[in-house]
Amino acid sequence: MTARSLQSGAPAGERAATTPSLWARIWHNDAPGYLFLLPWLIGFLGLTIGPMITSFYLSFTDFDLLTSPDWVGANNYIRMFSNDPKFWASMRVTMFFVVFSVPLKLAFALAVAMLLNRGIRGLPLYRALFYLPSLLGASVAIAILWRQIFASDGLINKLLAMVGIMGPSWISNPKTSLWTLIILSIWQFGSPMIIFLAGLRQIPQDMYEAASLDGASKWRQFVKITLPLLTPVVFFNAIIQTIEAFKSFTPAFIISGGTGNPINSTLFYTLYLYQEAFGFFRMGYASALAWVLLALVSVFTAFSFLTSKYWVHYDE
Amino acid sequence: MTIRIDRRQFLMGSTAMVAAGAAGVMPAWAQSDSLRLLFWGGQARADRTYGVTDLYTKANGTAVEGEFLAWNDYWPKLATQTAGGNAPDVVQMDYRYIVEYAKRNAIAPLDEFVGGALKLDSFDADQLEGGKVDGKLYGISLGANSVAMIYNVAAFEEAGVAPLTNAWTYDDLMAVGEAFKAANIRGGMKAIMDGSYSEPMLQNWLRQKGKDLYTADGKLAFEEADAVEWYTMWAKFREAGYCVSAEDQALDTGPLETTMLVLGKAAMIPSNSNQLVAFQTLMQDKLGMNGFPRVAAGVGGGHYRKPSMFFSLGGTSANKEKAAEFLNFFISDPEAAKILGVERGIPCLPATREVVAPTLDEQSQVALNFVSNLGDLLGPLPPPPPASAGEIDASLIRTLGQEVGFGAKTPEQAGAELISGANDILSRA
Repeated sequence: MTARSLQSGAPAGERAATTPSLWARIWHNDAPGYLFLLPWLIGFLGLTIGPMITSFYLSFTDFDLLTSPDWVGANNYIRMFSNDPKFWASMRVTMFFVVFSVPLKLAFALAVAMLLNRGIRGLPLYRALFYLPSLLGASVAIAILWRQIFASDGLINKLLAMVGIMGPSWISNPKTSLWTLIILSIWQFGSPMIIFLAGLRQIPQDMYEAASLDGASKWRQFVKITLPLLTPVVFFNAIIQTIEAFKSFTPAFIISGGTGNPINSTLFYTLYLYQEAFGFFRMGYASALAWVLLALVSVFTAFSFLTSKYWVHYDE
Repeated sequence: MTIRIDRRQFLMGSTAMVAAGAAGVMPAWAQSDSLRLLFWGGQARADRTYGVTDLYTKANGTAVEGEFLAWNDYWPKLATQTAGGNAPDVVQMDYRYIVEYAKRNAIAPLDEFVGGALKLDSFDADQLEGGKVDGKLYGISLGANSVAMIYNVAAFEEAGVAPLTNAWTYDDLMAVGEAFKAANIRGGMKAIMDGSYSEPMLQNWLRQKGKDLYTADGKLAFEEADAVEWYTMWAKFREAGYCVSAEDQALDTGPLETTMLVLGKAAMIPSNSNQLVAFQTLMQDKLGMNGFPRVAAGVGGGHYRKPSMFFSLGGTSANKEKAAEFLNFFISDPEAAKILGVERGIPCLPATREVVAPTLDEQSQVALNFVSNLGDLLGPLPPPPPASAGEIDASLIRTLGQEVGFGAKTPEQAGAELISGANDILSRA
């Protein structure tokens, strides 16, 4: 690194004179970089791009793992949109999850970040503690724990019983099962919270002082100063969390035992995709489902970027 | 020794295997002298199986590398290995999948070894027949079993209900339901799980009415009126409190540990005769077993002795002869038989049965007696179910029962949807 920066810092004429040929220069300057990149590059091409291209091809076939794939044209896609109630059911579940879990999670993360931003003692400890669920959240153990907490004789109902309320069996009731997963997702507010906290630190204190002198209430300060200046961070968090929510799989898989039950109320899109692929061996159809999900997430993200200029304020 | 692979590694691995298979690359280990064995089951089954493979290695010098997975993980694994041209030499096969695998040459016919490496002269005829597809032998039954009602003997005593007999009927089931309601033991334990979800129980009920789930050519063998009657009957049981509530039943996600029997919410569940042993290891209460209820006194023919599982040869195995020798050892060696017991069902060779019988513990004895003495409950073996039967079970039978339970659908709607949905899936496959 040092050698390279020294060299590029040298006058242009001198550098050209000391370098014999273009190839040798590339070799000297760039080869080590690509060499370091190689393990990732191989993985990226072989394990990400390769399978993606394969899956795109397979989405136009009836591949079932055992027999070789036959081309079926756009049949998989046509069936999905015209004749598959489970596709729409799973889409509804995932949309509901995204629409409720992402804003609630972001609001909660922002609220906690603002509390921690008040300069309380032991901040690093609290920060670490609040971040912990994010590290654990996608794990199998937490999903199993969640099952226990929200079971008919679980922790939540024991607490409710103390104040005389008979709680339902939250995870096995179709009216509440999806909400237990939304709460699990909100509980993993740690990573957006850390980013919010960093964003809050960037807002100059003198703005608040000026606002207080002008007699602005705390709420008004929040709406007129904090939020507008934080919009780039909100935007970033919203995009990342939306993509995460669309991809969410593990909790629903563990809590419902891979079934999406009760009565398909937790049949996430990804879970349906998994069932089609590894339960019923319809790899072609599952590949098509995966590509529709990718398209959907892309549209969402593009839409967010296009509208961002109307509500995201960058420091100009 | 279970090898657990996470989802991402699994996807990567399977893709690589598919690619390798497409390029005609055979992995080096496919040529080795040892045999590879893949089966589903729990630790108890694995211990017994590995006991036998060790014995075989000692006797013949051929190493057998075994690997086991839970049922749900087993089929994706076997399918990906098969797709990669890397199927194990010996695979455990189920009645539900054997036709599909045989038709795609993913398992190999055994006929050339019969009389040679495989000695099947006194093998139970019906069990031999069960392993045939289009007249060729593709699977060796590892044991016979039958569906059975497993019940909590201790809870029955506590509730003051007389033990069941094979003569009992659905009317008796209602009486038992009333008795459990009246006794109100263990925080309102119900008589039975919600059986409307249970494919075997539905099939048994249909067979007693002279019908079945599927015909030999893979079509539905019952009508909408039957399905409506079935859901209406269970709706009545649910309302009366004979079976568990929909909310409780939804806690059952598949493994034995979450069944209503083990959770203590119901005193009876429909299951398989060989699973009594597995259930008993999970429970303190003594368990018993008898037949499913009859639709009316004296009506039989709902049950059948089915091959609980097979061993088959992988279609691409390079060691078929050796694998066939191993199969023969597995079903006929007396020492192996003592290790295996009846955990995979009742052995199909009379000589093996004789060796096993005196070594059995009480619960295994119950299972053996039950399967041997089905009497007039026993009907003919139905044809193997169509390939999409598993999907119909998972996405219709289990879900529709639940929807009626939660009041999202009427029994009439559920009955109609079962027929139309099943026909749709059958025509799609």
